[in-house]
Amino acid sequence: MTAPKKISLHIDGRLCETADGRTILEVARANNIAIPTLCYLEGLTPWGGCRLCIVEIEGSPKIVPACTTPATAGTKIITQSERLHNLRRATLELLFSERNHICPMCQYNKGDCGLQHQGYAHGIDSIRYPYLYPALPVDVSAKYFGMDHNRCILCGRCVRTCDEIEGAHTLDVAYRGIRNRVIVDLNQTFAESLTCTQCGACVANCPTGTLFDKAAAFRGPLASCQQVLTTCTECPVGCGLKVFTKENRIVTVWGDPGSPVNRGHLCVKGRYQTWAEPRERILTPFIRKNGSLQKATWNEALDTIRKAVKAAKKTEKALLVLPRLTNETAKTITGLAGKVDRVGMHVATNEAALCAQAEYTADALAKLQDADAFIIIGAQPARDNGVLAARIRTAVRKRGAKLLIFHTRKTNLDQFADVHANIVSLEHQLWKRVASTLSGAKRPAVIYGPNAMTPIGVTVMEQLIKILETNRSTQEPLLIGLSAGSNSLALAGAGIEAVEEVGPWLESKPLKFLHIVAGDAPDGGLQVMEETGVPAAFPNIDCVVVQAAYPSRLTDAARVVLPAAIWCEKSGTVTNLEGRRLNLNPVLPLHGEARDDAAILESVFA
Amino acid sequence: MKKITAKKATKKTVRQPAAAAAPPAPARVRIATMWLSGCSGCHMSFLDLDERLVELVKLVDILHSPIVDTKDIPEVDVGIVEGCVNNNEQEHELKKLRSRCKVLIALGDCAVTGNIPGLRNQFALKDCLLRAYEQTESTKISCLPNDPVVPVLNAKARPLQEFVKVDFSIPGCPPDADVIWYALTELLAGRVPQWTEKNLRYD
Repeated sequence: MTAPKKISLHIDGRLCETADGRTILEVARANNIAIPTLCYLEGLTPWGGCRLCIVEIEGSPKIVPACTTPATAGTKIITQSERLHNLRRATLELLFSERNHICPMCQYNKGDCGLQHQGYAHGIDSIRYPYLYPALPVDVSAKYFGMDHNRCILCGRCVRTCDEIEGAHTLDVAYRGIRNRVIVDLNQTFAESLTCTQCGACVANCPTGTLFDKAAAFRGPLASCQQVLTTCTECPVGCGLKVFTKENRIVTVWGDPGSPVNRGHLCVKGRYQTWAEPRERILTPFIRKNGSLQKATWNEALDTIRKAVKAAKKTEKALLVLPRLTNETAKTITGLAGKVDRVGMHVATNEAALCAQAEYTADALAKLQDADAFIIIGAQPARDNGVLAARIRTAVRKRGAKLLIFHTRKTNLDQFADVHANIVSLEHQLWKRVASTLSGAKRPAVIYGPNAMTPIGVTVMEQLIKILETNRSTQEPLLIGLSAGSNSLALAGAGIEAVEEVGPWLESKPLKFLHIVAGDAPDGGLQVMEETGVPAAFPNIDCVVVQAAYPSRLTDAARVVLPAAIWCEKSGTVTNLEGRRLNLNPVLPLHGEARDDAAILESVFA
Repeated sequence: MKKITAKKATKKTVRQPAAAAAPPAPARVRIATMWLSGCSGCHMSFLDLDERLVELVKLVDILHSPIVDTKDIPEVDVGIVEGCVNNNEQEHELKKLRSRCKVLIALGDCAVTGNIPGLRNQFALKDCLLRAYEQTESTKISCLPNDPVVPVLNAKARPLQEFVKVDFSIPGCPPDADVIWYALTELLAGRVPQWTEKNLRYD
């Protein structure tokens, strides 16, 4: 491939050099020449809908939108003139008059709204056209966000985001002319939608208050919030988060556009589930007295625990952690080896094998961008790793990449799959189809989860690798091991034993003291534990200590409960599936009497 | 406290013209302000000029206003209107003011865009009346207003410029006192105030 040839043109009298094939807007922005826009958003296909970026080309009577017009060598572009200003102003006035843009009662005013900002920038004090005051509906049926058509300017940023970034194409535009409106699926509500993944990317990319976060609404303008960059610890992808806070509250969470992992995109877990729903928090230590858990001070709790620690022999002490901890906490835990007999990390079924075998693939997520065949075995990215699923969906829909799914459970990725098979029912006929689907693949990617580690899963993997090897043009497949735990690979790498069956592990030797680090797992990690069966209470153990942020059946069974920090209060690093060490920065101070995981462990085993 | 002192200051000025008529003082600008469908917040913001009101009354006479006790609108130089037009009486008053003033200023979002009173425009007028006079939870005796003396609501609450020519608009809900001061002093100095990103606000 030859490098695109260089061209030069004048914008506002300034000589700009650029590679051929770029738009006037891109060249202008690269040279710090401001052109107002509303429907343009970097990363999305230019659409040319809002007509604010119109420019004049010297010698041509036509006015063209800068975002869709390619820069041509030798042209002279004018971005600011009285004629352009008047046209832009008229466009804005039409936008203001068309729907009910009532700034004082919009949750997205005071510096956040793109339309309002353009109104100020163009000195609009009143509108020459009569207001239409249409009666438009508001859809607040989604769990985390709403859509108020009164504020919509039909810029189509949400539609393009949903289509090009999330790959769901839930949103589109319906009706003609003045009745033009953004719709969900086949004119349904968000709650009825089968395709909406609730990722909320449309909300973050909406320039007005049309799409809004319910939890963020009226909590203060984002422009006045503090922004902290941190990392999502909900899955091993490790997306960068940009958290907006005000007065020690989270106002909203957006993706960090600077993160090489997710480049600004997030799934429903990272964007909403961690903060946008009320969740009962454990804020003080609790000690079981007369059969029920009662509030206690840290000193009382630690005294009780230390007595139990002393009373038990070394072989009678065990530490069980969940795979959501930071690398720094893992270091503290491995340092405790002399004080406890066994340290185990509770993982999902078959994940121990994954922890032992999987290797990090550097820049895997960037390489996925070029993959032309995706093979998913024993993993559910659509449920667990929304950002990964979005990459796969867009690749299949936009680039015609092949998708093969081998899994027992159905997910919403299945509809895009060329081959979709239950992992345990593989017949000869299917392999023929698999082989023909993969025949043209040059850059395949294999994404495997814990369930690929079963004997049949391994057979499937071997068979697939064999097929891929027979294609001469095929490169070495990109292998991505997708653990169920957010940081389980790094924790296993630090030397913590991965435990699948907790029951037998606990019963293998008599125990007197068990310390469980549940951290900020919303259900105390029970989702994983129930799959593998954890004893409901721990009848044979004298003292069970649970350090957790949220109450669960696990804390119900504990003798002492210690309040732990949650994701937005932690500092340290986690390692994602690419092997990147990603920083966690405390967004909020520790709530109540909660303490950091490592600090608690150190004081318990001091 | 602020309001009371401001009120006194303005009242004083009303009486002043007769006393000050003798010396050849520079012509004072005569002002009328009007409160249509709005919350009076824009007038409050006007009173928030605080000590600048003293400076202002050296230059202007406020002849008609919700804070001046006059029945009819006199001939003035500048008319300042807060609120939008909601009924036939307001329409009549606005047109009367327009015919008696040289410059008409729309003050605040309601006057400029319809704003909060305009929220009812999405609904049929009858539905609004039923909701207000019959379906309200606290209503005991329901009766739609039908006395001929009561002004009749227009089908839609509309901003001033849809009825009369507006010479200048000051948006904001309410406009900041500083913005009102800037606009008034510029106009009094014979200049057209320039709206920029710094002083323009819709909320």
